[in-house]
Order: sequence, then C-alpha cells, then structure tokens
Amino acid sequence: MARKDFLDIVSLDREEIIHLLDQAVPFKELFTRSVKKVPALKGKTVLMLFYEPSTRTLSSFEVAAKRLSADVTIFDVPHSSVTKGESVRDTIDTLQAMRADYIVVRHQLAGQPAAIARQTGASVINAGDGAHAHPTQGLLDAFTFREVCPEMAGKKVVIMGDILHSRVARSTSTILDKLGVEVAFCGPGSLVPQTRFKRFTNYEEAMKWGPDAVYLLRVQKERMDQPFFPSDREYHNVYGITEERLRRIAGEGIYVMHPGPINRGVELCDGVLDYERCLISQQVENGIAARMSVLYDLKPQVS
Amino acid sequence: MNLFLQGGEVATEDAAPTRADVWIVDGIIKAVGVMDAPEGARVVDCAGKIVMPAMFDAHVHFREPGQEHKETILDGTEAAINGGITGVVMMPNTAPAIDSATVVNRVLEIGRKCRIPVLTSGCITVDRKGKEMAPIAGMKKAGVLMLTDDGDAVPNAALLKRSMEYALEFEMFFASHCEDPQLAGPRALNEGPASYRLGIQGTPALAEEICMDRDIRIAHATGMHLHIQHVSSAIGMETIRWWKSRGAKITAEVAPHHLMFRDEDIGDYDTHYKMNPPLRTAEDNAALLQGLKEGVFDLIATDHAPHTEFEKSQAFVDAPNGLSGLDTALVSLHDRFICNGDFGWDLIVKRYSAEPRRMMRLGVAEVAEGKPVDLIVFDPKKETTFTKEFMKSKSSNTPFLNKTLKGSIEMVVLGDKILLER
Repeated sequence: MARKDFLDIVSLDREEIIHLLDQAVPFKELFTRSVKKVPALKGKTVLMLFYEPSTRTLSSFEVAAKRLSADVTIFDVPHSSVTKGESVRDTIDTLQAMRADYIVVRHQLAGQPAAIARQTGASVINAGDGAHAHPTQGLLDAFTFREVCPEMAGKKVVIMGDILHSRVARSTSTILDKLGVEVAFCGPGSLVPQTRFKRFTNYEEAMKWGPDAVYLLRVQKERMDQPFFPSDREYHNVYGITEERLRRIAGEGIYVMHPGPINRGVELCDGVLDYERCLISQQVENGIAARMSVLYDLKPQVS
Repeated sequence: MNLFLQGGEVATEDAAPTRADVWIVDGIIKAVGVMDAPEGARVVDCAGKIVMPAMFDAHVHFREPGQEHKETILDGTEAAINGGITGVVMMPNTAPAIDSATVVNRVLEIGRKCRIPVLTSGCITVDRKGKEMAPIAGMKKAGVLMLTDDGDAVPNAALLKRSMEYALEFEMFFASHCEDPQLAGPRALNEGPASYRLGIQGTPALAEEICMDRDIRIAHATGMHLHIQHVSSAIGMETIRWWKSRGAKITAEVAPHHLMFRDEDIGDYDTHYKMNPPLRTAEDNAALLQGLKEGVFDLIATDHAPHTEFEKSQAFVDAPNGLSGLDTALVSLHDRFICNGDFGWDLIVKRYSAEPRRMMRLGVAEVAEGKPVDLIVFDPKKETTFTKEFMKSKSSNTPFLNKTLKGSIEMVVLGDKILLER
C-alpha cells in the first residue's frame, strides 16, 4: 500500500482496513515486552499539529510514534503565531521548512487535514476534524471489536448518543459497516440524522434489535450552540446506561465501548467502568497499536 | 459604424431563431431581413451563429467600495461584456454598504466610466443591519429602484412591513434574500446526506422557504412588488407558483448554478461549490428547471460573487460563499440546457435579456428595425475554455475553471461600439 495520507475511513477499501488491523496485532504484542520499541521510523520526524485541545489522542499518537523510534515534535498551537492571525496555509508553509515526514492534524474545521495534505508532501494523518472524521479512532474501535468478536460479519453494534456532532460516529460506523458489522444509531431525535443506517430514538427498541455491543458517545456540549435536549439528567434517564440498564446489559453479555473522555452520570453510570465487558481501557491500549500500524504504513513524499 | 451581420439566426423572446441579416448603422438597427450586403458596410459572417439581444444581469456583487481586491466595478463590467451581458444591477452589500444617496452616487459615478450601464440596488436598512430604515427616498432620487438587504434577510418582519409601506410612495420595489438566520445556522451547505458525510452543519431548505413565505405575505398585504432572489429549492419554486396563481405582485429569479449543480458536487470539500443559498439536490435542480420552463421564474440572474483564490482555499466552513458567474453564465446555459434540448434561445432572450430589463423599467433590447443596437453574436459550434486568463472577472472562483464548454460569445455590440470581438 502506497498511501500518502490517512484522512478518513470512507476512502479505504476492506482489504486495506484488514491489512491495517492485522498489522496492528504484532505491535500490540510488543507492549508486553520489556523493550517496547522497534526501529521502523528511526530518523523520521512526526509533527503533532493540534488546533483543538486533546490529551488522549495527542498522547496516544506520541507514544505510537516513539515506539516506532520516530522523533516527535509537538507544535504548540495556542502559543504560536496562529493566535496572531496566521492562516493554516501559511503555517504549513512554515512547517514545510522543518521537513517533517508525518504531520498529525487535529482541527475544529471539517476538511482542514485534507487541505493540508494537498499542500504538503508529508504524510498527513487526520486526528479528528470537526464533525467529519476520526479515522484512527475508527480503526482502533474495529480492532477492539474484532478482539472480542473475531467473526465480525453479521454482528450488531448500536452507536448511542450525539451522532450529529460526532466524527467518531461517522468513522466508526463506516469502518464497522465495511467489515460487515450491522450498525444502528440511537439517540435523541434532534441528534440522530437520517442516514443509511438503522435509526432509533428509543433506547429500549435499540436494545431489542439485539446488539452485540453498545458504543456510547460523549455528549459534546462544546459543539452545541443551542440546546438539543433538556438536561443531562433527562438525557441520562432516557438514553444513558443507568444502573438498572447495566444489569440487563450484563445479563445479555453485551459489550460496552466509548471513545472517551466519559461523562459519568450522563451517558453512563459509574458501574459501567467496573463491568467486565466494558472495553474502554482496552480501546485506549489498542489506540497505540492502531496508530503505529497507520504510521508504519504511510509513504511520505518528501525528498 | 456600418456593420452587416450576414447569414445569422436572429433570436427573439417569443419564437425560435429565424434566418436574417442585420444591418447596423451608427448604433441603430437599420434593417433586419434577408438582403444583399449594403455597399460600404463591413460584412461579418454569421452563418450558423445566433444574433440576439444582449443579456442583462439583475443580481451581481461587485466589491467596490471596500473589497476591490476581489472585484472592482470596472472588472465586473468587463466580465459581464465577456459573458455577453450589457447591463447589471449591483447588490448593496459592499463596505460601506450602498445605503445612502452618497454611496449610490459614488457607485454610479464609477459605473458611468464603464463600457456598459451599471445600476445599483440600495439597502432596506442602514448598513444592512436590520435595525433602522435606510434613507429610501434619497436613494430613489439618486437612481435606485430596487431595495434589498441582499446577503441577508431583514430579520424583523415589522420593520420589513413598515419599509414596504413607506417605499410604496416612491414607486420602488423590494428584492428578498430569503433566509431565516436561526434555521440557516452557519450557512455552509445544504442539510442532508452531503452535510452528514462532510461533518458540517447544514442549512435546510426550509430556512429559505419559511422566509420566502413570510416576505411574500408581507408584500402581498402591503401591495408592494417583491422580487424573490436566487430561489434554490423545489418547495421555494412551488411557493412562488402558488402565490402567483393567487395574483400576488411577485417576480422571481433563478441562478444558473442552482439549475446545474447539487450538494454532492462539493465532493471532497471543493469550495467552488460553496454558495448561499446552498446547492441542494438533484430533485431541486429538476424542479427549478421545470419552474424556469413554465414561467414561474421571471428571470435568470447569476448572483455573481467573486472571491480570491486565497479566500476560497480556506477550509470549507471558513471559505466565503459564492461563485464568479458573469463570464460563464450564458455559455454554461447553452452547454447544459440548449444543447440538451431542455429549452430554446427564446427562453434565454426572455429570461436573461427582456424580463430583467422590464423589471428595472428599461427599454427591452431587440434585434429589430429601428431599435438601438444592443446585441451579441453567439457561435454554438465553437467552444470556450474558462481559464483564468480568459475570464475578465478579477476572481476565478467557478466550478467551470479550466473546463471547456460548448458555445462562444463572438461579438458584443452596444450603441455604436463593438465591445467585444473574438
């Protein structure tokens, strides 16, 4: 595979996805060794360009790059000339001179990583752009789901919550769909758009559909300039995993996933974190392996 | 000037083009018909070409004053000539806005130095802010007929109603950019599968339709003539049809891009397809075309909105709305619709030449004996490639950039001057 950039899931075919998943397996095995590093990207530079605050994705990429022996530079956007009004385009021209081989971009505007990718020969990895895509999250979710359900075809996943504003919903639904998993969306009617996937606005009906996993999304207050539902409390009661609902989930052996960070008391109750089929910390660990697989696979076009 | 256009097909607004020669002397059409070339006349071979009245565009954004880096009035008029257009109506969302006799006079003074007539609309409210009524009578005196806050709707319905009641006395008319700002949101693209796919909040068609209905009801109640600008949706078209059937005093326009393109054309965030109202769906394209053919739309207008390459190179949400349309409009209508048999030249003449001039209370351009010369020669067999160099607009923000379309504007003649000859 000679892909320069990793911008979304939509443009990947099934074979590429499976290749990236398979390739992540030995990387994950590496984590149990005393030396967790391989020299694959020795001498290469990975630049982190995060226009939006992020802790987990940034750290995950940083660890992934370092385990591949790359040099990592974090471009500190809030303290840079960006706050002095420099355009993204001009920033990239400046960064070109630093000759990074890989640029990991997070931006609040959909489409910005694609625009950067067109401008530079470096490999651009989309670490989340607006409500558009978060493809490495999709990859790690597929990897995690495959670990518990190796035969993915025909399995069912319901993605629950704020679908409208969620780049995770878009990327994760797309990758699962490409791998033969049946996907449904569930959430408040004001937050679940009409798509080709099954749509529920009633929690009980979604659970009657018989999902193998419930994928919870964080309610993204920061992307809502207007109210989409009355209150966190009402959301929790209607669409959240309450203690009572958790007992039923446990009874049926349904897996619970979440991209983090979580809002306790909104989309889930505390008990979910102790549930044996809660895959949240597994997702975090797999994120590093999945991102190593992506970095390892891309072919920068820099001289 | 003594010019003989020989062997062309003369187009009119109510019949298919007919074979006729056109003899022009000193800015007046001396004769139309099949005849021998007069002695001393310069003969232009028009065999296989269309000789037709020049176009008139009632919706253009020239960026002067304030944003001359995008387009000046001079650039804009040259783009118009390049596209076979010999008259334009400017929209008032300049900086400062065209909201007083002073700014109107200034704009028209610049316009008088151009090679085609420049008209301007004036704001309904001061600085298009929707708060206070602009000096309407003063602008009328300076030459304004059309009042609009184009770029935005007047959010306050009561203010719109009072402005209409007031302006009736001065025999002006209103033009509405229909958009409920709350429903419209950030105004980037149509709400639907494309907005979901791209992860950008969409603007639903109903943001336009609700405001359209509101404005028509207010106009109907006050007796004001209302012109609806750049209708983009099927229900919008039906709304106008319904109100017309009730005898409401309304006219409406459709832009070429809303007939030709749809939201999915945005593809991978191509900002050339970003405009307001946004491109909607294939069903809307079809309904708008139907509306144009059935006379629901009185006129075609480009909503010419130039922006620089840099501005359009920003992320999709940040890039400004609009496309540069004057250079490309007529050729694209020929390429997409006339070649396809969707409609004939008579529709183009009626909707893009005669009706907009009537709305602006101007004499209609006609290729007929004794009329002043205001015509173009169009070659349907030639092709045009819209390179940056070809386009006379200062900006080349168009989906047709570097595309080759069927048809070429060979000649533009206004009065006793040949404005363009390829």
